Order: sequence, then C-alpha cells, then structure tokens
Amino acid sequence: MQQSPKWHDLIKINEYLYEIPQSFRSDMRVPARIYMTEAMFQDIEEDRSLLQLVNVACLPGIQKYAFAMPDIHQGYGFPIGGVAALAIQEGGVISPGGIGYDINCGVRLLVANMSKDDIKSRLPELATALFHTIPSGVGRSGKLSLDTKELNQVLLYGAKRMVELGYGNENDLEHCEENGNMPGADFSLISKEAKKRGHDQLGTLGSGNHFLEIQAVEEIYDEKAAHAFGLKKDAVTVMIHCGSRGLGHQTCTDYVRIMMAKLPEWGYQLPDRELVCAPFLSQEGQQYFAAMTAAANFAWANRHVIGHWVREAWHLILGPGAELITMYDVSHNIGKRETHSINGLKKEMIMHRKGATRAFGPSRPEVPAAYKEIGQPVLIPGTMGTSSYILAGTDDSLSQAFGSSCHGAGRVMSRTKAKKLISGSDLRARLEAQGIVVRCDSSVGLAEEAPIAYKDVDRVVKVIAQAGLAKKVARVVPLAVIKGG
Amino acid sequence: MLKDFEILPHTADLKIRVYGNSIEELFKHALIGMFQSMRPAAPECHYNENKRLVCANLPINHAIEVNSPDRDALLVDFLSYALYLSDVHNEAYLDVTIDLLDMKRILAHVHGIKIKGFDESEIKAVTYHDLNIVKMNGLWQTEIVFDI
Repeated sequence: MQQSPKWHDLIKINEYLYEIPQSFRSDMRVPARIYMTEAMFQDIEEDRSLLQLVNVACLPGIQKYAFAMPDIHQGYGFPIGGVAALAIQEGGVISPGGIGYDINCGVRLLVANMSKDDIKSRLPELATALFHTIPSGVGRSGKLSLDTKELNQVLLYGAKRMVELGYGNENDLEHCEENGNMPGADFSLISKEAKKRGHDQLGTLGSGNHFLEIQAVEEIYDEKAAHAFGLKKDAVTVMIHCGSRGLGHQTCTDYVRIMMAKLPEWGYQLPDRELVCAPFLSQEGQQYFAAMTAAANFAWANRHVIGHWVREAWHLILGPGAELITMYDVSHNIGKRETHSINGLKKEMIMHRKGATRAFGPSRPEVPAAYKEIGQPVLIPGTMGTSSYILAGTDDSLSQAFGSSCHGAGRVMSRTKAKKLISGSDLRARLEAQGIVVRCDSSVGLAEEAPIAYKDVDRVVKVIAQAGLAKKVARVVPLAVIKGG
Repeated sequence: MLKDFEILPHTADLKIRVYGNSIEELFKHALIGMFQSMRPAAPECHYNENKRLVCANLPINHAIEVNSPDRDALLVDFLSYALYLSDVHNEAYLDVTIDLLDMKRILAHVHGIKIKGFDESEIKAVTYHDLNIVKMNGLWQTEIVFDI
C-alpha cells in the first residue's frame, strides 16, 4: 500500500505554501503544492488527502504542480480542494472522477436592497417560506417536470433557457460564471438514465452539505470591491449551494464506466482507478467534456430556478419593492478549457477544479464587465453558524495556481463522528441561541453538517488571502439556515 | 454470525467494508450496505435494535443485467445501476437473487420497497476508490467509498 507523505517529506516554500517534491514517488510527473499553514497539517496527516494529491501529480499532461487548496480533505481519486492543469496538446487527460460526481456543484449569491434590521421581524416567516418553496432533502422530485425535448434545451442552454421560460432575468446571466450557459454542450451524450433522474429535479437543493442561507454582511475588508459587488455593511444576502443532482451524478458514473473499458487501450498506469481518464482529444474525452458541459448547464439552470423562487418568496413576504440581485454564481466542481501562460508560453489546458473555485483576476476576459477592475467574485461558504466569505480573484492567483481558490471550510471529521459528538436537536438549539433561524426536517442531516466537523473557515480564508490567491472583500454571517436532510 | 458490512471512518464521504462467504454474498451484502447506510424511510417496515430496516415483504422486483471489464468494475456497475433504479422509482433494495455471476457479468433481480426518501444523506455515486475484492482467511471482502 502506498504511503501518504509525512511532515518531513514536505518542503516549506513560505508560511502558507508547502511542496511535496517530485522525488517523493517515482510516478509523479510534477511536484505537488499545498496551501496551508504548519498548524493545518494536523487536519490532514491522518487521512489520505496528500496521498490523493500525489496521485493527481501522476496524471498525463499535468503542468507545474498538482495543487491543493487550504480546505483540502480526503475525497476519492482527487482530494477535495484539488486543482490540476492538464495541457491539451501534451497528451493531457480529462478525468470525470477528478471533476466529481456532482458536476458543477457551486454557489450563487443574491444581494438584497434591505438591511438585516429591515427583515428582522419577518425572518422566521421568510425562512419558512423558503423551506416550503424550495424542495430539499433526499427524495427526487421538484415542482418542475420537463419532457425530454425541454430538458434537452436546458442541457444546451442552461440558465439562459430558464430566462426564456420566464425564470429570472438577463442580469442573473451576466453575473454568473459562463453566463450560466457553457458552450459546447451536447445533450445527445447524456444517457437516458441521467435524463430520467434529472427531468423532475430542476429547482431542488438535494441533501448533504447543500443549503440555502439568509445572511447579513458583518464586515467589509475592501470598500471599492464591496461597492462593485453591491455589498455594504448589514446588507442581507442569500446564498444557494447545490449542483446538478441525479443527472450530474449519473453522467459522471456513465463516463467513468465508458473510460474504464477503454483504459487498457490507452495504456495508463493509474495509482487509483477512480482517476480513470481519457486523453482530452480522444473521442471519449471529447464526448465526456460535452456531456459534462451539458450537466454543468443543468446545474446552472438549477441554481437559477432556485434563485427565482427565492425571489418570489421574498416578494411574497416583504413586498414587491424587496429586490434580490444576483451578485455571482461560481462552480466548484468542474472541468474548464482555459489558456494559461507557463514561462511566457501560452498553453491550452483542461483545468480540473474539484472542491475548488475559479479565482480569475482583473486581466482575464472571463470576468463579468461589472467586475473588470476588481476580479471575479469568489464565494466561500463556511459552515452552519459560522461566517462565509466573499473574495475577489487576483492576477497573482493566475500566475501561482492557474487562477484558483478554495471552495469552503473543508471537512475534518466524518459524518458518523459528528453525529456521535452532537445531536441534531442540540445543534439546532445552539444555532437558535445565536439567533439563527433553522429550517431543516432532518436532525440527522443537521448534525452531520455541524461546524465541529469542519475546519475553521477564518483560518482557511486567511491562507487564501495571505498567499495572494484572492483578496478578502466581505464576511457574511448567517441569519437563517434552510436545508434538507 | 457473519458480519455483512460495517461503516468505516471517512472524512467527507461514506466508506463501508463488506464481507461475504461467497462472491454472490459479497455482492448481496454490498447492495444491503449501500441502502441500509442511507436509512430508507419506509412506513410499512421498521428498524430493529441494530438500526437495520426490516420489512415483512419486499414486493418490488427489478431485473439487472450488467457487463463490465472485470469483477471490481462489475460490483461498481451493479451498485450504480441499483442506485439509478432507486433514484428514478423512489425505492430501496434490501435483497437480491443472483441468477448468474462471473468475472464480467451479473444477471440478478433486486428486491425492495417503495420509500418516502432516505433519512441519511443520499449516495450520489459508487466510486472505485479503495475498491479491491479479495479473499482473506476464506472470506471475501472489499471496501467501497460512496460519494455523498
């Protein structure tokens, strides 16, 4: 059995960056780099996060380093918080497991034109309305059921199709990664099984760590950037965290299976079968990318519809003058075709970000026009009862880590252990004692996501900011948490 | 009595170790482990002292036929198909009749019940991570990591 790197195997680059040299294992094609502090090493030394990162460093075509963000924790194949750039013209591969089963799981943030004091008296009512409006938890169906023809349009055009159908508006699209409609999708490459799973799941949160949160801006770190993002102290925000539901899970499963059958032909020796991959330019690689793009569009349509329903509930409770404007929507499980410079040479990459967020600085054309001078918003949800952060991508991040940042706090404890340490009802009582309204029909689900199961998000974000991957713009705190089981 | 499966620690996902006196039993226990771990909510069944869902009848049957490159892949593909059926039909499967099982092919019928949902986090997918079917001390076993 292969050994995980120990502390003595790591080289300190600076206070926030450590390296596992290529010499650690003979099959590494590049070194691996981890953004963390020395104190954070204890969170990952017992599990297999770093071994998984070393495995990523073995992928054909990988450039510079296999990166881990400070929220790194053990996953399958890639660690969560893993970033890899695979050069397309140098035999770079695409790995469905390296993107994740929940394709385009991500976060959308809406900003209200009201302060926390404006909504204080109506908060329980708002939370209840959102809980009843947005289907959550395990269980499959939502309020929308699409026939195959309509589902295909959503797979092709994502959130843009939903605007055509009367959900949300153009402004939502302008403030969304890929404008909610990533080009290159091919619905014919999504299996009938995936379509069956997805046809009535549009507009549903799902379970696990997915949630809706009503929040308030607690602290502003960068006035100029906050102004551009429409944020001010005490303003209310709504955060939506979910992905592509069963349609995405099935799509990843399907292509892992397809690539597994072809693996002997390509001759890759992989340290973990879950890293199964295809040359990006092969037929299988291209087909998976087009299918993944379609599933990503489904996820953007999903968060878009949920945003629309949040707005409807908002108007219902607070009146038609209560606005909610989409600030941004980022993916943190996705593969992207991006051009990056390495030693002055431009290379086209297939970027893998699994549990990692794109964090492009002002120089990139992908940043929305409204944020051109600031950089792309980076949304980092914390845990229940703790802060979440809004950051801005930097050009430094582009030169360091292909324009990437962390995606959350990062788990440190299994769900089983979390449930042993705290009951759902105790956690609910603690949150309510902090003045946070909780709407969740599963105590078990609540306990699994207890803050003690996660790293301290403040420490994680500090590493990102100090390392220069993104700059802190604002910190928000929860007023109400709405989640499924 | 032979332990059929146990839940192992995993930071973010669900990891189980499955045991079987035969390969057929290993596949059966993997299916049971996957669905029992999600705690199906089925009004006509009850949970016993071991926190296992017990049903007097499993009236729903689906035929499963899967072909895969090798036995490890066959287990992943078999469980993935059962997961797909569960998601589409809102059902949980707690038993299986295996008609044929070799290194690359399984023909089986899964038996289950309608459910209201699952009380634990849904399993998104079955992964290959750490999966390695081996026979140790006369007992077949493997670990399986599920994405949740």
